[in-house]
Amino acid sequence: MSNFGERILVVEDDTQIRNFICYSLHAEGYQYIAEKTAQGALNSLVSEQIDLMLLDLGLPDLDGMDVIKKVREWSEMPIIVVSARDQDKEKVSALDIGADDYLTKPFSATELLARIRVALRHLYKQGGNKQQTSYQIGNLKIELDKHLVFLDNAELHMTPMEYNLLALLFKNAGKVLTTSYIIKEIWGVGYGNDTQALRTLMAGLRRKIEKDPAKPRYIMTEIGVGYRLMDE
Amino acid sequence: MTLQKKHKALTIFYGLLIIIVFLSLASAIGYLFRITGFPETNIVIMYLLAVLLIARYTKGYFYGMFASIISIFAYNYFFTEPYYTFNVNDPSYMVTFVVMSVTALLTSTLTSHVKKNAIEAQEREAETKALYRLTNHLTDATDLHDIAGIATNIISDVMDCNAACLCFDENELPEKTFVQQVSPEKLISRDVINMEDIKHNIDGLKSGFCVETEFYDWLIYGRDNKLGIIRIPIERAVLMTDTQKKLLRAMIESTALAMDRLRSVQQRIKYREETIQERYRGNLLRAISHDLRTPLSGIMGTSEMLMDMTKNSDPRYNLAKEIYNDVNWLQSLVENILSLTRLQDGKLALNKQPEAVEEVVGGAVHHIAQRSSEQEITIDIPKELLLVPMDAKLIEQVLINLIDNAIKHTPLGDEISITVIKNKKAKCAVFIVADRGEGISDEDLPNIFKMFYTSSAKHADAKPGIGLGLAICYDIVNAHGGNIEAHNRSDGKGAEFIFTLPMEVTDNE
Repeated sequence: MSNFGERILVVEDDTQIRNFICYSLHAEGYQYIAEKTAQGALNSLVSEQIDLMLLDLGLPDLDGMDVIKKVREWSEMPIIVVSARDQDKEKVSALDIGADDYLTKPFSATELLARIRVALRHLYKQGGNKQQTSYQIGNLKIELDKHLVFLDNAELHMTPMEYNLLALLFKNAGKVLTTSYIIKEIWGVGYGNDTQALRTLMAGLRRKIEKDPAKPRYIMTEIGVGYRLMDE
Repeated sequence: MTLQKKHKALTIFYGLLIIIVFLSLASAIGYLFRITGFPETNIVIMYLLAVLLIARYTKGYFYGMFASIISIFAYNYFFTEPYYTFNVNDPSYMVTFVVMSVTALLTSTLTSHVKKNAIEAQEREAETKALYRLTNHLTDATDLHDIAGIATNIISDVMDCNAACLCFDENELPEKTFVQQVSPEKLISRDVINMEDIKHNIDGLKSGFCVETEFYDWLIYGRDNKLGIIRIPIERAVLMTDTQKKLLRAMIESTALAMDRLRSVQQRIKYREETIQERYRGNLLRAISHDLRTPLSGIMGTSEMLMDMTKNSDPRYNLAKEIYNDVNWLQSLVENILSLTRLQDGKLALNKQPEAVEEVVGGAVHHIAQRSSEQEITIDIPKELLLVPMDAKLIEQVLINLIDNAIKHTPLGDEISITVIKNKKAKCAVFIVADRGEGISDEDLPNIFKMFYTSSAKHADAKPGIGLGLAICYDIVNAHGGNIEAHNRSDGKGAEFIFTLPMEVTDNE
């Protein structure tokens, strides 16, 4: 149990799923607070010290989106949304307005815990070592201060765009980045939503770092949502 | 045919009678003139008048011309010296003969011509009137038998007979009864006796009608199928002139038009009802599936929890695992039903964007690998980036369903491959999912994409499918404007599923 007993707020209206989540968290050594409604969640957020929130998007009283917006007014805590499979649009907009990650029902305990680990690690990175300049995942290494990328200790030649994309993914390793977020970060706000340019850029990048672009080791495609750099 | 001959003989006899009567009258009056000492020119005029009247009261040019020639000979015989011979003393009579014959011929032909025109005009008017009456009444009809009744009624009236009409059903087969007009006010329904003969005759029908024991049958032919027959009693049919036949054909044409229109309206109503029913069914399925989903997630999580709480050797672990597997299967079934109902509703708007093939294929394979990691899947896609307009989420679903299917039918360790080729000629991307399973049996091949179709050849330990996965693939690929096919592999055993997606964005979806 490699965690420090972080407090996790579980907002889920279905009893069975809530029980299952809470049990999994408890077994892993996390503390948890369970809430059935959005209002209850907001109350807990004010009165308790919370490190991470698991939020179901289909709550009976308030739209999950509104909860995210309200929380983001005062807190940067990681939010993982839980959604049904046909709620792709809600999922993407939740990510765009500030959620950190998502889980699609039904999910397994392993998946749940992995997402929580990634989100918490991020929290510590942000809080502590903000000036981290080099990251390594597997055999892929990036040095931000020198603008260099290494694969198997050999330097890779990258176009500036490819480098920017990879750097962005590294800074958010493990986290899913929506297509529109990446486009905004790489090309700027005024660029619109031209996914074709991103697909092409991504294909170029993958051909440099992946052995088989159709079975990627590093950059996973979350179809209909965006991309995620695997960090475990 | 004897009736027709009799009729013709009667007309000829009638014409000859008129000639004899008028020419005898003219000769008699001429004789009176001769004995009273009137000038001979009056006699000539009398003959000309007779010829004119003959032409007026007979049909066609023949009788008038024939009468002209007879009148010359009669004049010669009775009124030129020497009397009662065909000789002429005074040669100047020859001039009279020539002038007289020319005048007689001209008058007779002119009269016949005028008369013919008048008759034609009359016929045309009657035809127009009859057709107008027919179409006028037909617009009020609400079903096929209404139309049959109206057509029978008006055709009987126009043709002055007891016409009948036999309707055909949707499969172009005669119905068991037909309607016949027996008096101007009364229609009766009669049984069809010689069904087989009618079917046979209609099938072999080349010209306008065929002959039955009681009727001449004219086929009512719609836009693309046979709608019925109009029956004219034989004794009337043989007397029909060409004009009447033409009129009858025109009336049948109008009837066919009305029947066609009615049929297509009925078809439309039927389709609409079917669509509504389909939608109800879809809504019900969706509502049920939706409500099933949440508890299923719960059961799944709980069974996982139980597995977590027990040791692998504990029999309870296996019980929990079985619950988990079954729920997992049920869950994917529910998701498939939901996708399908949304697709068939047309509610699922395609979100088409140029997507990289490698990402979609990779996504599908990654998804599969999370569940069945033991099965190796080889991927062969073009080296250069291939962007294809598609709804990535849906095409991923297609690939997942196809791979799932392949895994279900392929022994562990045997080859499963995904190949993507760019077909420049047809401007489409071709996706091939091939396996080394037992292949597809001939009886399954044509039905494999049908909803709720499951293979009859089932191995004992296979999970029961309810035949949705491939039906969804079919619907999704079709919605993209592509094609999907299933084959057995030519290079050994196994099946392959091939689908195409057009490379160019079309706006017709």
